[in-house]
Amino acid sequence: MKKKMVGMLLCAAMVVSLIAGCGNSGADKEGSKAEDVKKADDSGKKVYALVTKSAGNPFMDIIAGGFTDVIEAAGGEVIVRHPEAATADAQVSVIQSLISQGVDSITVSANDQNALQAALEEAMDAGIKISGLDSATNADSRQVFVNQASDAEIGKTLMEAIYDIAGGEGQWAILSATSQATNQNAWIAAMQEAMKDDKYSKLELTEIAYGDDEPQKSTDQTQALLSKYPDLKVICSPTTVGINAAAKVLQDDHSSVKLTGLGLPSELAEYMGDGDDKSCPYMYLWNPIELGQLGGYTAMALVNGEITGAEGESFKAGDLGDYEIIKAKDGGTEVVLGPLFKFDSSNINEWKDVF
Amino acid sequence: MAGKSGRSIANKPEKVWQKRILSWEGMLVVLFIAVNIFCINISSMYQFSNVLREMPKYLTEVFILLPMAYILIMGDIDISVGSIVCLSATMACTAYNKGIPFIAVVLICLMTGMACGFVNGIILTRFTELPPMIVTLATQIIFRGIAEITLGSGGSVSLTKADGFRMISGKVGKVPYIVFLVIILAAGFTVVLCATTFGRRLYAIGSNKLAAYYAGIQVERTRLIVYSVTGFMSGLAALLLVSVLYGANTTTGNGFEMDAIAMAVFGGISTNGGKGKLQGGIIAAFIIICLRIGLGLINLNPQIILIILGILLVLSVLLPNIFRGVKLQSKSIEMK
Repeated sequence: MKKKMVGMLLCAAMVVSLIAGCGNSGADKEGSKAEDVKKADDSGKKVYALVTKSAGNPFMDIIAGGFTDVIEAAGGEVIVRHPEAATADAQVSVIQSLISQGVDSITVSANDQNALQAALEEAMDAGIKISGLDSATNADSRQVFVNQASDAEIGKTLMEAIYDIAGGEGQWAILSATSQATNQNAWIAAMQEAMKDDKYSKLELTEIAYGDDEPQKSTDQTQALLSKYPDLKVICSPTTVGINAAAKVLQDDHSSVKLTGLGLPSELAEYMGDGDDKSCPYMYLWNPIELGQLGGYTAMALVNGEITGAEGESFKAGDLGDYEIIKAKDGGTEVVLGPLFKFDSSNINEWKDVF
Repeated sequence: MAGKSGRSIANKPEKVWQKRILSWEGMLVVLFIAVNIFCINISSMYQFSNVLREMPKYLTEVFILLPMAYILIMGDIDISVGSIVCLSATMACTAYNKGIPFIAVVLICLMTGMACGFVNGIILTRFTELPPMIVTLATQIIFRGIAEITLGSGGSVSLTKADGFRMISGKVGKVPYIVFLVIILAAGFTVVLCATTFGRRLYAIGSNKLAAYYAGIQVERTRLIVYSVTGFMSGLAALLLVSVLYGANTTTGNGFEMDAIAMAVFGGISTNGGKGKLQGGIIAAFIIICLRIGLGLINLNPQIILIILGILLVLSVLLPNIFRGVKLQSKSIEMK
């Protein structure tokens, strides 16, 4: 009986304290709100938020660096928020927290195409401008997406590189990430589309191997490719983990097989060169600093009202030049950063320290 | 008039009152108020309306905490709840996308959860020698595996139209429905635990399973019921999570089990069973939620928030032990 009483009393205490707490905050609200409005008026600073995929992701950190630089140079304020875990659920909490703070713009690199829709729609209802970067959300939950490069462009560029390195004919293979990765599959499909050209008729794609973006599995898959296809000439790996693992295998084995694909200069520097002792003659990647910068300019243009995210609009992105908003494959709109950046022995040394 | 024992009618209520304040739950209430004052101070955005708006996503974990407290009090554990949430959410989304009416989708979601909980319960009660930690670890993997197969190669499913789920995430004024639901269920679970025979049976089983069995309690039947209820509540949590996320993916519900156990332990519920009160767990849950929202508003690095929560948890386990040690020492000094 006593215990029951204690329990009931405590429940009552909790409810009372909750109401009291709310009462307090309610009373404070008017005062603090007025203060905030005043603060915003005084400085006139716009607040731009960037929601990353996860904490401790070097690629994301470089993008965030570019994003922050251009906005702070223009006099805006930047908030970079990492989610608790690399999941869409954790990103939802971050977005809702940003809505509470009343930011002017949110730029997000989505961990899931659709799961952020409810949160982002709420943000748009609150008048916040939403743009995507690096990894897109679906068309309904954004104003515009900043795309690193179009899929077709990546497919064409990589096929041309394979053609060049293989000398126009021979066997080649792809080392990808997971079999479900949206971007990987889109790029592979674009390569296969480009391959239909007669020019590439003497090239033979032997296998698409999946290293799941794990260093060990990618190493195993590369070794399997080497033993299965003794006549293999080129491996193309459009993923940073895969290309790194493959480069190490090929160079350690003194294999004659050459490598190209999409990789980080800092990781590939020691494997890059034109001689026989190096495994990778050249590779590509977009410039993440510029990607971050373009993301920043796009967010600012949205907030200024220069663009609304509709097809056909154009805006000036500082030193990057003019960009036009085009229709994206998913029905939304996007801005494409531009052609891929080529890394070879001539420029690798200056880039390997950057990212 | 003091009697032989030193007690008198006059000073008895005072002592009880003191005890209430000094109980773990009393301290949690104080901490809860302190956390709220702290959050109001650090961020001017920590306002009632903002907290209410951010709360629904966090509240889904409270639905799991309630039955999890029962399980811990029985001296058992269930680490498959996160996967049950994932599977139920997947089933609900897939079914709703096929054009099945919303009422049926709700039933499918809840029944999927309950079936999963029932499977856990059946295995554990038929083969009582199996440790619940291992069995639920196995079902955790199995349930998530089934969800992943259903999700297919994309690894995620989203609602093509969200009308029904939009209804659930509606609000009365500024207060989301889910807040009312949490309050009602929390009150219900608390009353059942501290005011019914069923609740007392849980404590009896947790204190000594064998003694409870010889005292005529149907131990296995009670466990089966509690595990099924846990599954059902996981289904409910899934339903509300879908109304926030408009979809499900392979990471949905990841870590829910550990969050729920952490809230319960923070609230003073012992994982050894037989000890603790659900009220404590509920207050602890709100402390954690308020702290997360408040620290999020000042854009603190999420990893630091996790560290703070971890330290709180360790302290909450350590402090009672230290107090008990001090008490024993002072008692032994008195004896001398």
